[in-house]
Amino acid sequence: MANNYLTSESKKLATWYFTFAAILFGAQLLFGLVAAIQYVMPGFLFEILDFSVARTVHINALVIWMVFAMMGSVYWLLPDETGIETVGIGLGKLFYWVFVAAIVVVVLVYLFVQVGPADQTTIWFIMEGREYLEAPRWADIGIVVVVLGFIYNLYATGMKGKRTGIVTVLMADMLAFAGIYLAGMGYTDNISVDQFWWWWVIHLWVEATWEVFVGAIAAYGLIHMIGAHRKVVEMWLWIEVAMLFGSGILGIGHHYFWIGTPEYWWEIGALFSALEPLPLVAMFIHVLYDWGKQQGAQEAQGKEVSVVTNKPAFTWFVLQAFGNFLGAGVWGFFHTFPQVNLYTHGTQFTSAHGHLAFFGAYATILIGMFYIAVQNKNGIKVMKATKKSIWATCMIFGGVLGMTVALTLAGYVQVLVSRAQMGATWAGYFDGQAGIWFAQGMDWRLIMGVVTFIGFIILIKDLLSIGSATHHER
Amino acid sequence: MFEPFTDVVPSFFGWLNQGPMTLTLFLHTVIVLPMYFIYKQEKARLEQEEG
Amino acid sequence: MAQKSVWSDNRFWQRSASWITGFAAMLLIWLTFDTIPQIMMGNDTDIKEGVTKRVPGPTVINYKITYEMSKRRGHEIPVIGGANAEGTSSFQEKELFFGRDDWSQEEAMEMLALGKLASQAKNCMNCHTLLGNGAYYAPDLTKSWLDPMWGPEGPLQAMTGKSTKEEAMAEFLINPSQYPTHARMMPKLGITAAEAKGLVAFLKHMSTIDTNGFPRNFGKIKGAVHGK
Repeated sequence: MANNYLTSESKKLATWYFTFAAILFGAQLLFGLVAAIQYVMPGFLFEILDFSVARTVHINALVIWMVFAMMGSVYWLLPDETGIETVGIGLGKLFYWVFVAAIVVVVLVYLFVQVGPADQTTIWFIMEGREYLEAPRWADIGIVVVVLGFIYNLYATGMKGKRTGIVTVLMADMLAFAGIYLAGMGYTDNISVDQFWWWWVIHLWVEATWEVFVGAIAAYGLIHMIGAHRKVVEMWLWIEVAMLFGSGILGIGHHYFWIGTPEYWWEIGALFSALEPLPLVAMFIHVLYDWGKQQGAQEAQGKEVSVVTNKPAFTWFVLQAFGNFLGAGVWGFFHTFPQVNLYTHGTQFTSAHGHLAFFGAYATILIGMFYIAVQNKNGIKVMKATKKSIWATCMIFGGVLGMTVALTLAGYVQVLVSRAQMGATWAGYFDGQAGIWFAQGMDWRLIMGVVTFIGFIILIKDLLSIGSATHHER
Repeated sequence: MFEPFTDVVPSFFGWLNQGPMTLTLFLHTVIVLPMYFIYKQEKARLEQEEG
Repeated sequence: MAQKSVWSDNRFWQRSASWITGFAAMLLIWLTFDTIPQIMMGNDTDIKEGVTKRVPGPTVINYKITYEMSKRRGHEIPVIGGANAEGTSSFQEKELFFGRDDWSQEEAMEMLALGKLASQAKNCMNCHTLLGNGAYYAPDLTKSWLDPMWGPEGPLQAMTGKSTKEEAMAEFLINPSQYPTHARMMPKLGITAAEAKGLVAFLKHMSTIDTNGFPRNFGKIKGAVHGK
């Protein structure tokens, strides 16, 4: 990576975001391994780095690396889409460092302070203790300020330069993404009200605004990597927005089955969220269809070379289309009906879905963006795969798929024994955990977690070295 | 004709929940149906542009 | 005449997307205004007047709690202070909680608030599930107050050497790793005596929230799997 071919400041800033995102991705996997080991060997790091701490870092690093990579992706594509340099790069750079520093402090407090006394000081400075939104309130406020700066840059650039369909979608989507975060910042004594607003953030992020975000990124990728026609891609994007928001916004109902909220949420949650896989199927078909169409058009002209200008990145984009459908769509559909969810809610089933959905829908496409950045930073016209990039792709995708299958099987025994037969008591819970399928499932999850982690190390090596490989077209 | 109300607190949405699918079909319909008017308007616009 | 189809027109889809998104968001806001009042916490007056709330007032800690099948609802519901003729809460039968059954609204609320705060400060949710949400490393706490393990004949109460459920739970929370209940143990989290009392009040209150029948058959089935 000796030569930096990037001339846009916005793209340079994007590579900073991608770099920190990749580091946090590593932290996510590492702490996930700690938690996976604790399922198999319960004494591991007991009262030093307990499961709750490892899991907090595991899921927070997940969310934050994705937010970083998403912001990086926007800074990356803005100059291409709008035709101008991003407005407010200085602010973007300043806030980047503020954000990084805040995250380092939050993680150090998670690791070394862990818990606090039951008072508001803990909520402000140590931990809010709400899954995914554990970050203390000072960090919440910091995140809001940083994201507002990011939104300002996006809007200022979008209004000054050319406003394509992709930019329009991103502008609306990112504003909703930031605004929804505010719903999760309050404190209440009432656990039902607490979880009601908590889901506003979690659900409306990952099943609405983030999904639309990846739709926009996929559209950008199709235009830039296989030369798809903008008008067609943007029409698809609008259809996807309609279907994703149409099903996703009221699909929040599937989180309101059992938290004290009225029974009518059964109906709303069941059917709206049952339709959530539809746009994901559409996105998958759309990516493959455009690819085939572009390749066919080129071959009709007698050119027998691939239309893909970045093999590893495009591989990850296709895996995203498939993984999103499989992880978020199929695995989500498994347990979205209240009749089923009554027994699967709060079991390893949820965990299986969480692993494949977060990975399939978001990790994949963001890794693809890393490769696009590497390609352009090294001034490569057509980037080919290396042995490392193929190994990394197979091991990471195979590893996560393996973890998902293992967790699903563990979830089956939990649903049958702990829930259906034993009625969810303490004894029922541990009877389920003692089941042979459960125990073996946890062993396999750990093994597949290690596979994923090795794949990640190869991925990082590849990202650092693929630019200097000699078989690319420059 | 109407199902007796069973939930804890009576409400408009609870009342629409008359049995399998009534509430959700109602909501889907009110969301999707107005697309018909958008379709009509856009069709008129396209015809005008061509004509 | 060769017409362009509306179905392949970007403007049609853009307008449709805007309409659907905007209207779905408005519906969600409307539903939120309908739901939030239904899940606001009740108070002592409701309980005295026999008004059932989805999230009842904190003074439910003065009452006996059970979890019974409701014919009308078609699933189990929390029953506070014994059932009336219709099978819902009668708010009659009291139960001592840390030696008293006359905790006032203010006292009970203070305990409950401390417990809720402690549940967050101690990060309970990243091992346990509450109302089914959280991590899956430890048992669900939604109805843990009603768990037979902590009842008069349950081994966990006996283990702590205490004579009541609430004292046993509080003792366990203060020194969890002294009472190895399972190979997978709960770590010591620096929970004070007052926080433990608050947490038990929080758990007892949580068991009275109407969760539409989740979890199903809680504590009803004995000896289903290994013939215990």
